[in-house]
Amino acid sequence: MSRSFSVGQLKGLEVSEAIRRFLGTLLESGAVRAVLVPKHTPATNMVTQALVTDREKLDGADPLAPVQMINAAHAVRELAKEPLEQNEGKIATVLRPCEVRAVIELVKLKQILPDSLYLIGYDCPGVYEVMQYRDRVEAVGDADEVRVEVLERFAEAAADPEADLRVACQLCTYFTADSADLSLSWIGADDQSLLLNVLSEKGEQLTQALQGAVGLEEVGEAPERTEQIKAVRARRLKAQDEEQEDLLSALAPCIRCYNCREVCPICYCKECLLVPAKMGYSSERYLRRAQKKGQIKMPVDTVLYHLTKMNHMASSCVACGLCEQACPMDIPLGRIYSRVGRHVQALFDYVPGRSLEEELPVTTFKEEELPQVEDIKR
Amino acid sequence: MERSTFEPTIIGFLCNWCTYAGADLAGTSRIQYPPNIRIIRMMCSGSLDPTYVLKVLLEGADGVLIGGCHPGECHYISGNLKARRRVAILKSVLQDAGLEPERVWLRWISASEGAYFAETVREMVDHIRALGPNPLKLEWAV
Repeated sequence: MSRSFSVGQLKGLEVSEAIRRFLGTLLESGAVRAVLVPKHTPATNMVTQALVTDREKLDGADPLAPVQMINAAHAVRELAKEPLEQNEGKIATVLRPCEVRAVIELVKLKQILPDSLYLIGYDCPGVYEVMQYRDRVEAVGDADEVRVEVLERFAEAAADPEADLRVACQLCTYFTADSADLSLSWIGADDQSLLLNVLSEKGEQLTQALQGAVGLEEVGEAPERTEQIKAVRARRLKAQDEEQEDLLSALAPCIRCYNCREVCPICYCKECLLVPAKMGYSSERYLRRAQKKGQIKMPVDTVLYHLTKMNHMASSCVACGLCEQACPMDIPLGRIYSRVGRHVQALFDYVPGRSLEEELPVTTFKEEELPQVEDIKR
Repeated sequence: MERSTFEPTIIGFLCNWCTYAGADLAGTSRIQYPPNIRIIRMMCSGSLDPTYVLKVLLEGADGVLIGGCHPGECHYISGNLKARRRVAILKSVLQDAGLEPERVWLRWISASEGAYFAETVREMVDHIRALGPNPLKLEWAV
């Protein structure tokens, strides 16, 4: 199911303003009880997730601002971990594609109840690292200008138009939110106009509730859009193929601070196998371990930590790159985890967050599969 | 040809219902097999977290044998088939980490296959001996 509409009410508006207006209508019409959306905090030049119930407070809401402090799936999890007491009205969560996909994985992992949510995705132009974003805004002096710059560069055919964005974004091939309920798209649209794409049953319901208020006109698929998506995807697939440095040496600076686990939207376990209580040893045991090889690195088990984490979450990794942003040692974790994830996911022809219907690879099996696992020569 | 004197250390994670019983049968039947394997009994191959395999490899074990029931014969219905997926993931991660996935073997060996268990250990010891010692044995900074 996929239908696209142009929105009469939003014609001629700049994309961010159009999104704000659309969210305002959602709140005003009573179609939703609240909106979760990234919002500027002008005094501090930051953009943070905000749960907004008052339409007047949508000023400064800006999902396209090129910065991402957390994967919003974390916030969605807080909002939908249990049924709401008041059963009327859902929450519209306005999400980047990597956040939509993480939410869908968390639904499958039984950490999010989707009933009270609308997932509203949008075409994502990519983001800067947080501190680089702030520096950029300070240098340019205007957050709107920084956003427009990134949006305009997206369509450019230059060799590497996004080189200063976060690496995870430079390598991202899922920059359209195809598995949301609704998506707001601007890629390939002429005169910057925003299209509304209905992608699910729920999305259909919400759209019908809005029909009168915004003026919808069904439009066909724009060939420019398909072309542009194809070109950007091809460029990034090529970048993904590039040689990777040796993984063990890349992980060598790890101090096992657990930041990458904390910010990972997929790592949800309340009791993690990898916490110090589980991995730590008695003082005597460190000495005995040292005696085995004659010496031991401290902190211990940094490589074990990462390789275990990969085994546990790589099949659901949405490659959002937040782990890399959080790493105090600048280990290129986004590149590492997304590459390991791609290889694991390919084994099962699985794309995290592609569909709620697809079972998690680790909770299911086929009776006959993976002959290479039993063939020791590989 | 000169025979290598390297004696590999192999850790076996064997399921209680099939492969462990198969190993037991090999013993009670007096079938000879190399003493290189150290066996850890699990309730099911499906209950093996990959972290334990990683840990022994990082500590320098030369090989890991994971033994479970033949497909369709798991005491817990499908633990072995879930184990197969986990081992597939594990081998993929090992490959990306530049470690050697062929040090990890998954075999289905039933309680009645004592001879096959002994044969598997022989085959594995020969294979790992040819492969050489686990390079991580000397690597302390992991």
